[in-house]
Amino acid sequence: MNLSDVAIVGVGLTPQQKRSDRNSLQVALDAAKLALADAGLHHTDLDGIAARWPGPGGTVLAPGSADWSTLLGVPLDWIGDSYPQGVPALVDAAGAILTGQATTVLITGGQAGVLGGGRVAAYTQPGNEFVAPFGAFTSAHFALVAQRHLARHPHARQGMAEIAATIRNVGSANPEAVMAGRGPYTADDVLAAPPIVDPFTLLDLCLASEGGAAVIVTTLERARDLPHPPIVVLGAGMEWLRQQYVDPARYEQTWTIGAAAARKAFGQAGLGPSDVDVAQLYDVNSLEVARQFEALGFCGPGEGTDFARATGIGLDGKLPTCTDGGLLACSHIGWGGPTLKLVEAVRQLRGECGDRQVAGAEVAIASGAGSGAQYYNLALLGRAR
Amino acid sequence: MTVTDPGLTDLFWEAVGRRELVRPVCGDCGRNFFTPQVACPACLSENWAYERSDGRGRVYSATVVHKPPSPGFAVPFRLGIVDLDEGWSMLAELVDGPDGRLPAIDAPVRVTWIEREGRVLPAFTEDPA
Repeated sequence: MNLSDVAIVGVGLTPQQKRSDRNSLQVALDAAKLALADAGLHHTDLDGIAARWPGPGGTVLAPGSADWSTLLGVPLDWIGDSYPQGVPALVDAAGAILTGQATTVLITGGQAGVLGGGRVAAYTQPGNEFVAPFGAFTSAHFALVAQRHLARHPHARQGMAEIAATIRNVGSANPEAVMAGRGPYTADDVLAAPPIVDPFTLLDLCLASEGGAAVIVTTLERARDLPHPPIVVLGAGMEWLRQQYVDPARYEQTWTIGAAAARKAFGQAGLGPSDVDVAQLYDVNSLEVARQFEALGFCGPGEGTDFARATGIGLDGKLPTCTDGGLLACSHIGWGGPTLKLVEAVRQLRGECGDRQVAGAEVAIASGAGSGAQYYNLALLGRAR
Repeated sequence: MTVTDPGLTDLFWEAVGRRELVRPVCGDCGRNFFTPQVACPACLSENWAYERSDGRGRVYSATVVHKPPSPGFAVPFRLGIVDLDEGWSMLAELVDGPDGRLPAIDAPVRVTWIEREGRVLPAFTEDPA
């Protein structure tokens, strides 16, 4: 079997909210049930799981953490809990399925009942002794990369604002988005929004919201008997440069993170950037979207914002990007955030996105992490032929 | 707060308490590195020791934080990555120099000391020399 013999057959998205009255385990379970129903499967059909709550090592190694095997009442053949979300979990699940360790894997996660208000979200501030005393947090690490980029390419600031406005306006029109009905936004609105950490204003940065997201992965053969058109994994790649948010990210090392992963993924798929119909890029901030266009080979170095403007990344553009409104306007649910990208990619490829559907979407990118995080991953997904 | 390994970093913070900046230097290959690790990231030797830094370097990147990450921080403050002349780098706050200027990218800086919530921390200030 090949990677493309593995398919996503179910997706589940709980209500995405600024603050939820559920807890993180509840939303992960809610998302799992929605994904099972979507896949036409029962939880006893699962034999593998990649999930996190509240930390890694839950099912086997962390007494008191969520034991998914007990929770679902299913003895599992395979567990992936080192990075159980988004593309890395999809790749791990595919590996388990292709090596015969599991046939049907649930990937679920999210956060709820954890966010306070007024300050930087606690989960973005590692309590490390060489980070916390200096006041760094996730967006500050990305900002330290961005500042060196903007010192070389000052014109990118305007393009960043245009990207943020475009994606936020897409989210405004998505009734499932946390920011549904907000806006419309212009680039000037983004530039004039309250500064958070230079160069980013509030509107350049992703949300910190609550909710759950899940996907179910199985063999293409099994997928053909299930209700939805199977969405297969055409290719994938990952890069792990360094542990996130401890040693600060250096621009020269991290600006192009993802280039090697993209070469691998496109190579596996036999495709190139021009074949991508929808791009569910990991938009933790506006500049990361432009950076990924450069790193993934859509354009040359320093051309990311110009590419976005010339190509059009809104729903009416040539490369609709973050078609649910992304992390910027739909939702960012902490550890579940990377899985949101898989969910929206699958929905677009199935053609079930209603008003935001991109006509003829056959190949999608879903990505995770970025320069400031010092790791990156992406998958190319497509309809099974 | 997570301490990577108290045995690895105690001496760093003890030196900071004396307003002295130190960094790990490998006794085998001479590599300077930071943050402290069990072994030298260049040659994997555990034969390294803290040596005093002269605290001079250049700003690699700098940003202004406008939203307080936690209650102990008055905003705005300037956060930077400093490349020390000895060949290592660290994250730290950038503060006013003698002429009141906040150091920008590539500015020469030297270590200085600030106190936050009763704790001494290294910071860097523009070094006109």
